[in-house]
Amino acid sequence: MDRGGNAPPFLLQWFNMIRMKNLFLACSLFLCTLAASNPVETGHARASLITNLQDSQQESFYVGVRLEMQEGWHTYWENPGDSGSPFDAKWNVAEGLIVENVEWPTPITIPYPPLMTFGYEGDVVFPFKVFRAIDSDLSSISVDFDFLICADICIPEKASLTLDLSSATPNALVDAAVQNLPAKIIQTQSIVEGNSLKTKFKFSQPIKEAYLFPRQDNLFSYTPTQQFVSLGDNSYEITVPVLKDEVASFSGILSINGEGFQIEEQLESTASMSLWQAILFALIGGLILNLMPCVFPVISLKVLSFVSMGGDDNSKIRNHALSFVGGVMSTFLSIATALIIIRSTGSMIGWGYQLQSPVVVGILTLIMLGIGLILLTNINFASGLTTFGSSVQSRNDYSGSFFTGVLAVVVASPCTAPFMGAAIGYALLQPSFATLPIFLALGLGFAGPYLLLALKPEWISALPKPGAWMETLKQFFAFPMIATALWLMWVFMVQTSGDALILLLLLGLILGIAIWMIATFKGRWKWLGMLVTLLAAVQIFNNLPENTSGLLADSSAEQWNLAIESDLQAQDQAYLINFTAAWCITCQTNEKTAFARDKVKEYLIDQNITYVKADWTNRNEEIAIGLARYERTGIPLYIFWKPGMPGSKILPAVLTEDLLIKSMQ
Amino acid sequence: MKVFLTLIATFTFSSLTYAAEIKLQNPPINTEAPNFVAINSYGKTIQLSDLKGSPVILEWTNHDCPYVARHYNENNMQSVQKIARDAGIVWLSIISSTPGDQGHVSPEKANELTDSRGASPTHVLLDESGEIGMLYGAKTTPHMYMIDANGILRYKGAIDDIGRGMQFFNTAFKEAKNYVSSQINQLLAKQSLAINSTTAYGCSVKYNYD
Repeated sequence: MDRGGNAPPFLLQWFNMIRMKNLFLACSLFLCTLAASNPVETGHARASLITNLQDSQQESFYVGVRLEMQEGWHTYWENPGDSGSPFDAKWNVAEGLIVENVEWPTPITIPYPPLMTFGYEGDVVFPFKVFRAIDSDLSSISVDFDFLICADICIPEKASLTLDLSSATPNALVDAAVQNLPAKIIQTQSIVEGNSLKTKFKFSQPIKEAYLFPRQDNLFSYTPTQQFVSLGDNSYEITVPVLKDEVASFSGILSINGEGFQIEEQLESTASMSLWQAILFALIGGLILNLMPCVFPVISLKVLSFVSMGGDDNSKIRNHALSFVGGVMSTFLSIATALIIIRSTGSMIGWGYQLQSPVVVGILTLIMLGIGLILLTNINFASGLTTFGSSVQSRNDYSGSFFTGVLAVVVASPCTAPFMGAAIGYALLQPSFATLPIFLALGLGFAGPYLLLALKPEWISALPKPGAWMETLKQFFAFPMIATALWLMWVFMVQTSGDALILLLLLGLILGIAIWMIATFKGRWKWLGMLVTLLAAVQIFNNLPENTSGLLADSSAEQWNLAIESDLQAQDQAYLINFTAAWCITCQTNEKTAFARDKVKEYLIDQNITYVKADWTNRNEEIAIGLARYERTGIPLYIFWKPGMPGSKILPAVLTEDLLIKSMQ
Repeated sequence: MKVFLTLIATFTFSSLTYAAEIKLQNPPINTEAPNFVAINSYGKTIQLSDLKGSPVILEWTNHDCPYVARHYNENNMQSVQKIARDAGIVWLSIISSTPGDQGHVSPEKANELTDSRGASPTHVLLDESGEIGMLYGAKTTPHMYMIDANGILRYKGAIDDIGRGMQFFNTAFKEAKNYVSSQINQLLAKQSLAINSTTAYGCSVKYNYD
């Protein structure tokens, strides 16, 4: 804790004084004193050492260096801005005492246009936390406090302060200073767009003024004001001009109405993917999406309906294929538009976000169940009611093909295919003009095979000949649909409660009766059952309880929070983070094929890897922010880090136990 | 003081347009250094573009700034100047302090300072309006810029690596890495420098802001 050498501090100070005699000549004119006392007049300030130590048994307390600066003079924050310097405190304490680094108070802007500096004026207390071994004696504590004090001109001043802790009276100013420290972390989401950093945050009160003080120098330019706009719904966005194209991370203090909040921000470089690359990824991802478990039954029905068209004339096949493509594309377009609108309100959103609503899940459950029943009972729905998937019977009904396209996208929403996550993540974090083309590319990829069919209807002859086997297969496909319904019921239960699930099952029963009525009776009143189902659904979905306990909780996993990565990295602790949700079927598949396997569990224990789970089954803004750090807006997302790695890495979206273990080696 | 506080208030709470008028530029490294015309302490007109063919070092200075004072009192700046001049480099010391503020000097005083401190700049340029300072984005004294013989800006920033923090006043210059003197050979070779941009430290340049 000494000044570094073996010579007593006094001698070194004297030496410094000689060495910088011209500097300190100025200082001495203002009665600058180097004697150890308390307080000390340094020239343009009075410095004193104070504490909030109440009781001689306290193991931790604060000491504060108080600077009462003359009017018009200021000293600096840890990042002084365009010029200036933070102070330097060298402590001299007895054994058994540890003085931590200063906890910086919230700075203010001190502009000298065109320059900007950050610091403090008037009366300021710099608090230092002190830890004390319980058996140590309370004795004197001393500090050599070197600081730069400036008005129009700057003068380095210093004070050697000593406080006898055994006799010091607690000073309320220390408590006040600690109370006002920027201790809370504010959740932010930042991107670099052009020459600006745009940082979004939420604040529940009206904001009169806000300023982001970056801790690192040479990243941002310091302007007199920073533009901030309200995005509605308590969301705000502050804009800070950047000096460099790449800002990987930064920290700082966000001062809102004079109150400070800590910011810790990790940005993925937005230049990591170009728009064209994202569009290509979206095309490939959309194509693969056809094979994902949730979409497959619906798609295969469509394929069957095409098979049954074998031998029909090509224009009909083309029209059906185009109708289907139209359904797919317009649904993707609607989703993109909805996402852009929701995003403009400042909400964090992601792919599959609609399944975070139990109402949507409930409705999807009924749709799946309904399709299953229709397939089994072989009802020929009259035209006018959407013939979900069952266009086998109504070959001329192009709206059937269109709605199959819509339905395919709707049921695809819980899935994220490989490549898709990155593309959608890019789309949602980019300005609107980039969002639309990426979603259209996704739709194009998804509808690709059918588009091809529309272009070359004769290729349909390559498919098996239609026949009685199709009827059998069609009935069989009722079961994947019902299985999907069962899965959705589970999601619904995780989101709500077991009681609510019973109500949903009851709705399923009513729906079954309704479908039976339509199939069995004639006349207008056969629709009565449907009407009852609708009314009952409205009643039930309006009064759903919300489950907050998180049924996906896993005793072997740590609960995720926004700071967990930096915490674990600080402890040199390897970790694996699993962003998952009940409604994400790819996630659930990975749970079964990788995470739940004994081999994986043993590996995690052997290698001392902390397993962290983030459950996004219900809406959760924090998790959305966490995903955005990786430029993602959807799941699954798996993050791994171990000591020695420069940064955490993203694991593949589709995992097996071997792949998971291999990617952690 | 009231005027000063009013100014602070004005700048804190409004006036993006005003700020824009006196915005500091930030000339990019490895591109042509912005040209300027200035009057030296002997009343002679100096134009940067006329100096092409020799490398040029710009030094923003303010003799009363404690940071600058220490560099001169301990003969550090003078020795860097000597190394540069011996290598055929043109050294321009630029004073952007506005009249009435710290560091502003008459031409006579500027010459007297050069003599009394044993400094050897090629020219001392008086930039009372701060125009050249803002053109280069000079923030502090000292703030250094290195331009090669083709007129390409190769370095901007601090003179050495000991400046951020109060340790500046306790660290010997021989322990510092001097970004200017250590990179003179690359500058002569018209190469991109290994270290080409650092955060300058020191007192603020005393621009005219009222």
